[in-house]
Amino acid sequence: MNCKEVIDLVDAYMDGELDPVTNQNIEGHLRECSRCDHAFKEHQAVVGAIGAVAPYHKSPAGLRERIQSSLRDQIPQSTRGVARGHQPQVPKKRRHSPVVLFETPWNWLGLAAAVILAVLIVWNLAPLLRRPGAEQFLATQLVASHVRSLMVDHLTDVASSDQHTVKPWFDGKLDFAPTVVNPASDGFPLVGGRLDYLDNRPVAALVYQRRKHFINVFIWPAETSEDRVTKAITRQGYQLLHWVDHDLHYWAVSDVSDNELMALRELIEKQTAQR
Amino acid sequence: MNFFVLKKPEEAGMSQEHELASFEGMMLPHLDAAHNLARWLLRNEEDAQDVVQEAYLRAFKSFHGFHGSDGRAWLLTIVRNTAYTWLRKNRAVDLATFDEEIHTPGCEAASPAAMLEQTEDAEAIRGAMEDLAVEFREILVLRHLEGLSYKEIADIAQIPPGTVMSRLARARARFKQCLADRLGKEQ
Repeated sequence: MNCKEVIDLVDAYMDGELDPVTNQNIEGHLRECSRCDHAFKEHQAVVGAIGAVAPYHKSPAGLRERIQSSLRDQIPQSTRGVARGHQPQVPKKRRHSPVVLFETPWNWLGLAAAVILAVLIVWNLAPLLRRPGAEQFLATQLVASHVRSLMVDHLTDVASSDQHTVKPWFDGKLDFAPTVVNPASDGFPLVGGRLDYLDNRPVAALVYQRRKHFINVFIWPAETSEDRVTKAITRQGYQLLHWVDHDLHYWAVSDVSDNELMALRELIEKQTAQR
Repeated sequence: MNFFVLKKPEEAGMSQEHELASFEGMMLPHLDAAHNLARWLLRNEEDAQDVVQEAYLRAFKSFHGFHGSDGRAWLLTIVRNTAYTWLRKNRAVDLATFDEEIHTPGCEAASPAAMLEQTEDAEAIRGAMEDLAVEFREILVLRHLEGLSYKEIADIAQIPPGTVMSRLARARARFKQCLADRLGKEQ
């Protein structure tokens, strides 16, 4: 390495951002070339002064409270009861009186519609913002949920191999009708179902058995704009299979093989199509 | 069904409360970092506070999209973007002149020895930093005051990692020039 090459890399060397080989080459050069070594030490001292001497502008008093108060203003007033306790009171205008809301039930419907609209908007925008970190996060959640269901003796809320018992159980608990089948004759008997909470919403979890293994099939509604690619993921030793069918997301999670999840998927799709 | 309709807004409210609490828990600890970056980029306390407040609101609005682990880098990216938007709108002159190559130092004008003696001179160092183009100030703050890696800086400043290395080297060289200029004037 010559002096010019060393000078070009000396900043990255100082920052410890070089690969070990280049690092060693520079170290070697600095040991041998006193001119470069001298220049490097001076550079390091002057540049080091920035971190040591330049002021770190800490947040001034009051800014935190100002921010918290403006964040509170982002939340609809009528639901802010919990928050009001632990923030300094700043005078602020009330948009609605909650009393009026209680007296006029139609406002609830309007509010519900607004909330649902907001959820739909977020749901539509979310995919733009959340790849790929969000999907990994979801996969982790799915695996965690699967493991927890096996661990704490809470595999099912409704234990039944009869899909005509399991399916109605979800009525009124979810805002969609999950697909429930019983492909017992194909070696995937239905064990039951339970409610779960994933991806920031309540979802249906259907439990199927494959020999000694359990398969959790999580179901929740899909948006039309979302991509419908089937995905197979392995995570922490578990197999995950994702597909979208009839506007529902399906995530099958288990320790059985990929092919067996595929087989279950085909059985679910076949039985759904028959209806 | 009635039950569902009546229940929904409250549930949504509670989850918003929950989201706000979780947002504050994750993002308010980085308020000093946010303020420090904004203060250096804008060189003015009042503007810095406005930008930080605006950045927190923006961050909260897109918080559902944050599933990473590095809250500081995520927040600083938003602070940085908010600061640049603010500069474009209110002080475009601060942004107009930056060209990576123009600021490449020609020769080392300063006597390094004189500078070394002055490395305790906080006022000269602060002044030399403030003389720099905003892109140089930004990268020096992220590296030397926040101690971020090249990768993290690349994410926040939205430049390729290779550019971080060259821009940082130029920023330091330019900083040394500015420091030498100030010290020259003082003497």
